Amino acid sequence: MTARLARARDALAFEWTKLQSVRSNRWTLVAAVIVTLGITVVIAESLASAPANRPAPFDPLTASFLGYAEYTVLPVTVLGVLVFTSEYASGLIRTTFTAVPRRGSVLAAKAVVTGAAALVVGEVLAVTCFLLTQAIVAGRHGGLSLSHPGVPGAIAAVGLALAACALVGVAAGAIARHTAGAIAAALAVVYLLALLCMFLPDPWNTRLGRFTMPFAAYQVVSLHPRAGLLSPAISVVVLVAWPAIALLAAAAELRRRDA
Amino acid sequence: MSSAVAIPLLVVVVGFVAGCLTAVVRDGPPRYLPKWAWALVICAAVPWGGVAYLAFGRTRRPGIPLETLAPVQPHDPGGPPAVTLAPPPLAHRRPSAGPVAIEVSGLTKRYGAVIAVDGLSFAVQPGKVTGFLGPNGAGKTTTMRVILGLDSPTGGTALIAGKRYRDIIRPLHEIGSLLDATAVHRGRTAWFHLLALARSNGIGQQRVHEVLRMTGLEPAAGRRVGEFSLGMTQRLGIAAALLADPAVLLLDEPVNGLDLEGVRWIRQLLTHLAAEGRTVLVSSHLMSEMAMIADHLIIIGRGRLLADTPAAEFVSRARRDVLVKSPRAAELAALATARGATAGPDDSGGLAITGMDAPGIGELAAAHGIAVHELVPRHASLEDAYLDLTSGSADYHFEPAEGVALR
Repeated sequence: MTARLARARDALAFEWTKLQSVRSNRWTLVAAVIVTLGITVVIAESLASAPANRPAPFDPLTASFLGYAEYTVLPVTVLGVLVFTSEYASGLIRTTFTAVPRRGSVLAAKAVVTGAAALVVGEVLAVTCFLLTQAIVAGRHGGLSLSHPGVPGAIAAVGLALAACALVGVAAGAIARHTAGAIAAALAVVYLLALLCMFLPDPWNTRLGRFTMPFAAYQVVSLHPRAGLLSPAISVVVLVAWPAIALLAAAAELRRRDA
Repeated sequence: MSSAVAIPLLVVVVGFVAGCLTAVVRDGPPRYLPKWAWALVICAAVPWGGVAYLAFGRTRRPGIPLETLAPVQPHDPGGPPAVTLAPPPLAHRRPSAGPVAIEVSGLTKRYGAVIAVDGLSFAVQPGKVTGFLGPNGAGKTTTMRVILGLDSPTGGTALIAGKRYRDIIRPLHEIGSLLDATAVHRGRTAWFHLLALARSNGIGQQRVHEVLRMTGLEPAAGRRVGEFSLGMTQRLGIAAALLADPAVLLLDEPVNGLDLEGVRWIRQLLTHLAAEGRTVLVSSHLMSEMAMIADHLIIIGRGRLLADTPAAEFVSRARRDVLVKSPRAAELAALATARGATAGPDDSGGLAITGMDAPGIGELAAAHGIAVHELVPRHASLEDAYLDLTSGSADYHFEPAEGVALR
């Protein structure tokens, strides 16, 4: 067991060192955070300037995370994709596999490190976006406080959703190996499936759409979840199931194929 | 439980807990949260603390002394400053497990319809430099990739000290390898590239400094690999191979792209490492390179073993003949053939006789009154011997351009 633990620690330290020693990774995250905050402010301003006598265009809780959902998911998913594809492109993956011959350990370590980084960034961003939005809309519509029912859960779920997207990216990178293909696959899961479902005829758009990541994410970040979709708790399971299935497929694929 | 299962499971547990939290928080104040749910929340929170510790607690700034970060001279083409060949202390090096360090038996590797390696068997002994030779496309790299567990063989086995590569714990301590030195992330500095590899096998930072010093890369440690010359990148690959002070080294074409100084450096290094009792397997498609360093040769062509022999023996076994020029060459040829030798026309217009030495031919000619104008004993070079051996097995043959003899 100790040997196993040591091996897991080795693999994690390896992947973490690689992740944080490439400058572009850090700058991608910093840029993602700055742009997210900017978009959030713009959306909050538009919400605050809506006439007070009409119902607000958005649920104030959902509005806090619109910038987040529309934008942040993209760079973080791509970052997840690059965790594998950058190594396949340079050939470094073979060095990685000679250092850690167990493919499963490499995948697990990459997933944990990337997932944890995305979770931390996601949670920090979630809290910041929420406070920022509520401060801006407070004067007009009365902002929510952190302790308002439903808010802590939503904030927790938003961070989780970002980690889930990053992990879908990691799995797609391991399976597709080429950056362009992997990004296309990951974004299909993260964005496009939901978009496709929205164009289906009436009962089917929500009936299928509720199992996609964006619909599930919507359910966990609104004060009044929509009827006809999944409950927030089940939606969290959906958010977790996509990366879990993708990672299992990636593990099988990594074991089967030559490096 | 394998880690590939453990991670998704962990994610599911965390997700479930987050779901509980969402539902509970939405449906009422937290005092209705049952005790077991809190216990679950705490249990799920603990591993993330460990992950955070690993991620953020262990990383310190690189311990490179400031002066080593000074930029290398602008026009440095990769020629290193004085290179220390003195090896690091080997106190912690484990002796190799037996007389055979690498054992390949019945190895076959098929890619679709192409057979890259076809029933290859050989063993590599410690204490000498073993040259792994073959024309381009002979299957050298494939064999090395199978030894390193990167490709799985279609048939047969490749063992290192009796174990499959994938079963070795912390494999860098047993076998250091260099397959493709340019397979490095261009945006990472040399220091971090080596540091990451060191951490993957529980090797300390001190050792990273040591290999950087050994390979003469210390002044460039803080530079990104994308700025390196080919020679420096090759040195970085060697540094990575030596990182854990392994008893076995496996190098694929290590001198490719190196300048003369670099080539000489590698030669000395490999001889030195073998003299310390390590196992060194070096592949090359250049016989001339191997002639300088290899003690033992393993030669393959089209995925099959052509020769597995001490280098000296290979040379002595090489083709020898005598070039004879005589106005009555045909008569001489008949006489030599009658005595069991073989004779045939030579490119230069003379007669090439194999199976008799020069004095014997001279005596024979004199006894029959045949004038001899030239009598030259010839030794094939190692290069010729190699080409003789592999000419039937090269995948791609060159058509000599007009007037240019390739051999």
